[in-house]
Amino acid sequence: MMNLIKNRDFILFSIIIFGVILVGIANPYFVKPSSLSDVLTDTSILIILALSQMIVILIRAIDLSVASNLALSGMLISLLSTVYPELPVVFFIILSCLIGTFLGVLNGVSIAILKVPFIVTTLGTLSIYRGLIYFVSDGKQVYSHEFSESFLALIHYKFLSLSFLFWVAVFVFVVMYILLNHTRFGRNLYSLGGNPDAAKYIGINENKYVILAYSISGFFAGLCGYLWVARYSVASTQIAIGFELTVISACVVGGISVMGGVGTVVGCTLGALLIGLIRNALPAVDISQFWQLAISGAIILIAIIINTKTEQRKDKTIMVE
Amino acid sequence: MVVCLFMKLELKKISKFFPGIKALQSVDFSLKQNSIHALLGENGAGKSTLVKILCGVYQPDEGSIHLDGQKEVIQDPTASLNLGISAIHQESVMFDELSVMENIFIGNHITKSNRLVDWTSMEKKTIELLGNLEADIKPEEKIKDLSIAQRHIVQISRSLVHDADIVIMDEPTASLSQKEIDELYVIIRNLKKQNKSIIFISHKLDEVLEICDEFTVLRDGELIKTDLISNTNKDQLVTYMAGREISQIFPKKHVKIEDEIFSVKNLYKKTQFKNINFNLRKKEILGFYGLVGSGRTEVMKTIFGINKFDEGEVNFKNKNLNITKPKDAIKNGIVYLSEERQNLGMTGLMSVKDNINMAIMDKNSQYLILDKLKDLQNASELQEKLNIKVSYWSQLAQSLSGGNQQKTVIAKWLSTKPEVLILDEPTKGIDVRSKSAVHEFMGELVDSGMSIIMISSELPEILGMCDRVVVMYKGLIKNILEVSNTSSEEIVKLASGE
Ligand SMILES: Nc1ncnc2c1ncn2[C@@H]1O[C@H](COP(=O)(O)OP(=O)(O)OP(=O)(O)O)[C@@H](O)[C@H]1O
Ligand SMILES: [Mg+2]
Repeated sequence: MMNLIKNRDFILFSIIIFGVILVGIANPYFVKPSSLSDVLTDTSILIILALSQMIVILIRAIDLSVASNLALSGMLISLLSTVYPELPVVFFIILSCLIGTFLGVLNGVSIAILKVPFIVTTLGTLSIYRGLIYFVSDGKQVYSHEFSESFLALIHYKFLSLSFLFWVAVFVFVVMYILLNHTRFGRNLYSLGGNPDAAKYIGINENKYVILAYSISGFFAGLCGYLWVARYSVASTQIAIGFELTVISACVVGGISVMGGVGTVVGCTLGALLIGLIRNALPAVDISQFWQLAISGAIILIAIIINTKTEQRKDKTIMVE
Repeated sequence: MVVCLFMKLELKKISKFFPGIKALQSVDFSLKQNSIHALLGENGAGKSTLVKILCGVYQPDEGSIHLDGQKEVIQDPTASLNLGISAIHQESVMFDELSVMENIFIGNHITKSNRLVDWTSMEKKTIELLGNLEADIKPEEKIKDLSIAQRHIVQISRSLVHDADIVIMDEPTASLSQKEIDELYVIIRNLKKQNKSIIFISHKLDEVLEICDEFTVLRDGELIKTDLISNTNKDQLVTYMAGREISQIFPKKHVKIEDEIFSVKNLYKKTQFKNINFNLRKKEILGFYGLVGSGRTEVMKTIFGINKFDEGEVNFKNKNLNITKPKDAIKNGIVYLSEERQNLGMTGLMSVKDNINMAIMDKNSQYLILDKLKDLQNASELQEKLNIKVSYWSQLAQSLSGGNQQKTVIAKWLSTKPEVLILDEPTKGIDVRSKSAVHEFMGELVDSGMSIIMISSELPEILGMCDRVVVMYKGLIKNILEVSNTSSEEIVKLASGE
């Protein structure tokens, strides 16, 4: 029992359930299955991006360019789909992922090979990628009627009355879970983040891992580029602006240590769910915009305090009484 | 019969230079199959540098490496492992947040046929490896929850898991107590039986004479002598290493012990220790002996205020002390030299001089201005006394050899001239000559009125230096013995709970 309480994933889970109940009391409409499933749909992109951001944070870095990457990939395929509406949607999805990966590799190469610090690199590409959207789109939007029908249809597909977006998030969760817990690559990420000096001694090639981590982050930003424009049926220069901060707070709330090497896929997902819940619930209970910001800020702080409390070193039993 | 034409490993004219430092100069080294080869030398002689070259961490600036007669270039640690070389490094290369099991297999996870990590087999193998070392460590424990010695055991297990032909052990027995060392010997001898070659680095010459077959001595990065162990003896080895004959054993200065100055009554900390009662008299050296993990360090850490105790009292000069943080202890003249020196004791990116003077900045300054001359005087005096090998004064502490880093931290705490000095494994990892220098220094300190508590896992050190010894076992004090009235057998027996 003590272990259960100390387990931060469990605490986070309880907070989420507690939060849902609380909001449900204030606004019973919110806990209807259909609105809860809307919350999940709404949070799916956040979950995917938080999980891919987690890979980067694990190795003591951060990818600030994800939202711009998402927006640029999304804009490029939207523009293309208006020109070639007959192409299958799968083509656009793959293309979006490839564009995202390419942008991610650029980050990785700049950091690993050119040795530009990750903050500088991704802060730079945050603006560059965003700027490129103006460049390719001439500052114009792509409106819902300009997309082909097939481009938008997939996103409305439902399975077990849960949305396509949600199932993509589930799929990404499973893939990430296996990747980080059951592959050498994933485990080496933990060791590299935990102790970069020691990782050298066991032959982990840091540059390779940095580039791969940023490529993965880019790949999922690209994927979310499609998901985002399809979901909101609009591509503009403004989409997902500032979303990288939401993603990073989801990771931090989920217990991914910015010091590297610490964090679980489950924790990260719960962190994203909590942030998603807050974003959806606060408007539902009629809290003013200002208070919404303050409350989300407070919840993030509390989560971080819980993190440090549960991470303290425990004494090993020496004497049996 | 297979006749081995080649040496297992041969280094020819290997040199390695760091800015301003010749760490290795044209060193030849050959290792036979089925042999335990001691690599000896004073702190800073170049032993670890040689090991790192073999492990692909450093590239040699000159010379070549031959394995089974074939020239090899070891460009990185993976290449080294693939060539069948595995090593325990002197500094901890552990991952605090990962489990014991994963630390053992890191970089080399067992995978199933579908290329996923096979946690079950790794756990089984871990239990087996730790069982061989009779270590009470669970596979799923996190490294950060282990003691220094337990981490050491995990490192040893890691080097064994690779099933390498050449196993390099850079001071594997530092910070282990006799029982664990004996188990390690069994393992090393087993490795030899399996036709492997072992490079064994140690400053404990008795153990070198006991288990090694051959030796190579380095001094200031140069090869001095390589021969069979059976052709040498301890004094000769010391002479090779130091470059001149030195008397190794400084007999302990006789000092007249005065009245009680410090005492601990009924100290108790849940799951850690209980009924801790002892006193320390002025000018006394009180030893603490016990197996790894018997609670010695925990007791000292609570006395020093790093951890809190649940019950009991600490008295100093007949006054009850209320120590809640290390600063309180230091203010009262009680100083603790932690065994975790690299982490807690040193600032790697500061110069050696600044490290030594860090704790006495206040004393060496006047009107807030640091007295540079006094600073340098103090540092150079201690540097000379402890034989710290620095190439230049501004050398960063992190580029010192392992033993010289230790000595730097010792120098730092000794400069504070406290009334009660608690030393945790003070001579771990330092060479014979410096060890006797530290011992001599301890003698001078008690003579000048200081009282010392010394935790040590080395019996000869306890017997040679201490007036009384407290023997601990699983968080309890088994007995407190007058050293002049006891034997090593009695102490070892008590320490193992008999
Ligand atoms: N990264 C480095 N940069 C600069 N100098 C270094 C570096 N590593 C080692 N040295 C220097 O090389 C010399 C040899 O160091 P090495 O660590 O090989 O000694 P050692 O024989 O292992 O000593 P010890 O017994 O103290 O472990 C020392 O003078 C040390 O200061
Ligand atoms: Mg060394």
